[in-house]
Amino acid sequence: MGNGWHGKLLRVNLSEKICTIEALNMDWAAAYIGGRGLATKYLTEEIDPTTDALGTDNKLIFATGPLTGTYGAANGRYMVVTKSPLTGTVASSNSGGYFPCELKYSGFDMIIFEGKAEQPLYLKIHNQHAELADAAHLWGKTTDETEDQIRAEFHGDAKVACIGPAGENLVRFACIINDKHRAAGRSGVGAVMGSKNLKAIAVRGTGGVTTANPSGFREAARETLKMLRTHPVTSEGLPALGTAILVNIINQSGALPTNNSQFGTFDKAESISGERLVQTYLKRNKGCMGCVIACARVTKLTGSRFTGSGEGPEYETLWSLGATCGISDMAAIVKASYLCDEYGMDTITIGSTVACAMELYQRGLITEDEVGMPLNFGDADVMVKLVEMTGKGEGFGNKIGLGSYRLADSYGVPELSMTVKKQEFPAYDGRAIQGMGLEYATSNRGACHVRGYLVSPEILGLPEKLDPQAIEGKAAWAKAFQDVTALVDSAGVCLFTTFSIGVPQVTRLLNAATGSNHTDDQMMVAGDRIWNMERLFNLKAGITPAQDTLPKRILSEPLPDGPMKGIVSRLPEMLPEYYSVRGWGTDGIPTAVKLQQLGLV
Amino acid sequence: MIRLQFYGLLRLMLSGKESLELPWHEGDTVGLLLEKFQAVEKIPVTGKLIDEHGTLHAGTIILLNRRNILHLKKLDTQVNDGDVLALFPPGAGG
Repeated sequence: MGNGWHGKLLRVNLSEKICTIEALNMDWAAAYIGGRGLATKYLTEEIDPTTDALGTDNKLIFATGPLTGTYGAANGRYMVVTKSPLTGTVASSNSGGYFPCELKYSGFDMIIFEGKAEQPLYLKIHNQHAELADAAHLWGKTTDETEDQIRAEFHGDAKVACIGPAGENLVRFACIINDKHRAAGRSGVGAVMGSKNLKAIAVRGTGGVTTANPSGFREAARETLKMLRTHPVTSEGLPALGTAILVNIINQSGALPTNNSQFGTFDKAESISGERLVQTYLKRNKGCMGCVIACARVTKLTGSRFTGSGEGPEYETLWSLGATCGISDMAAIVKASYLCDEYGMDTITIGSTVACAMELYQRGLITEDEVGMPLNFGDADVMVKLVEMTGKGEGFGNKIGLGSYRLADSYGVPELSMTVKKQEFPAYDGRAIQGMGLEYATSNRGACHVRGYLVSPEILGLPEKLDPQAIEGKAAWAKAFQDVTALVDSAGVCLFTTFSIGVPQVTRLLNAATGSNHTDDQMMVAGDRIWNMERLFNLKAGITPAQDTLPKRILSEPLPDGPMKGIVSRLPEMLPEYYSVRGWGTDGIPTAVKLQQLGLV
Repeated sequence: MIRLQFYGLLRLMLSGKESLELPWHEGDTVGLLLEKFQAVEKIPVTGKLIDEHGTLHAGTIILLNRRNILHLKKLDTQVNDGDVLALFPPGAGG
């Protein structure tokens, strides 16, 4: 079509084993941008939000944006959108690597999977030819093994997205791994794939993607690339130390949740820091396709009781398998991170769930007999063992596989699960960083840092420094960051670019690609529209505004240590203002006027 | 004495050195200590934190006893004997 889109959607009915090509709804593409927004529109139109997330009627959508596969701003992202088996909310998980561009270059903008295969299958796409293949021989294999096998039998240059044993075993936080190490990580999208007996998608695409205004796009891309190559974060900090640079920053700021959020600082943070990773297991950095930032960590375990090689760990993983479990053994964290990739599990949720189990053990609610071993905070070997047991579906690992909310609830103490809407916090304490607490409480997919990363202004000082303890104006900041992120996720751009570039650059790229003439404000309205559409899905799914809250610990137990000692979240003061700036009623429901303004009625 | 702690790119530039102690003098500010720090190092280090006009780069974090100097008096913030100054060149993640 020459406007960032091919205008083609591949629909795969797994029950009937039929693949059909449909025209992409371009009116929807204009209103919902693409990726996260467009796929959520399709999901909203095609499934009942109350449907069982792991049932036949749920659908699984792989969606690119109009900028996916173009150049200029790390434009190599895709989204997996479905109903989450962890939260019951809409799930949309983002990933990069090489698979997203390959999908775009095959000539398809989006794939919708529906129904359920009787036997394990995988999808093969070679440009415009798509077919389902038997995957019985792949079932049970790790993501590494699956990718290697598919490339050997289908095409040596194919890019593969697949699930590991965790997705097959319906672990509630199973992820989809592409290119062996990149993850559509959160909300259990891998379990939905497993529930459909779909093992993998393999794509070989040799086409391209064209833009409506090539010279305008070249100019816009030149501007964004220059900004990415000169900003100290995207040109120096992220390439040299990756996201792991945050361990010491967040710990020193008193916001590193430790021992299941019982503390806000970790006295051994230095041992699991990005600086330490550089000195120990880092081999080189690596980028997703076309990315000039290259924040990924290529690592190898040497001189340790553990062996292996791969990518990561990221900051989130260093925290989840480290600080929040009280663990300072870098090698154990690296090993467990590899295992999460191989079995296909979200490192944030599994680490936080192990930490929750450790607190249940600390309180005498879980016994050694149940687990098969003591479960003390700080025990690295036990953490690695539990990760493996969860991936394999063995013993107590099956309980970990439920996520921390269902685990804690089964012992009568759901308040010990550090979750919002049953999804675990990422690596920032919502007491120490007030805006992040608000963001967790209001995120449409449960606690999440990449729905509105207020850490950037509140701690990092980007684009400007806000006081993390102030609450004035945080509601407006949360809304703005949530809307921008919805826009970026929908465009097909990596969120990390926004440390350097802003809405004007994304708008300029989108206009040149799609042939539109949108203003920055119109693009922000598109983000708002996507956010409200997700909210409506959740309300229809039975997720009420009463769940816009935080665990009791965050609301009423003051941080006992660090520079934020004595602080609790002031969410009750911020939430009414948030509803107001969103244009919602005091009950947290989008008003008819608001929905009309956004074209959602 | 004042303890300077080095993080991120700064530590990599200093070949893994984690900290340094500098003598404290009455009237010392964060800005003055950065000048003293630069004076004892052979390579240009403070350029990772501030520009040629002495302005903090966007994203630079300097914590004085774990409090961000942007919420104090920035580079003019007074430093007392025994204080700890943590220096982070711009970095980010998610």
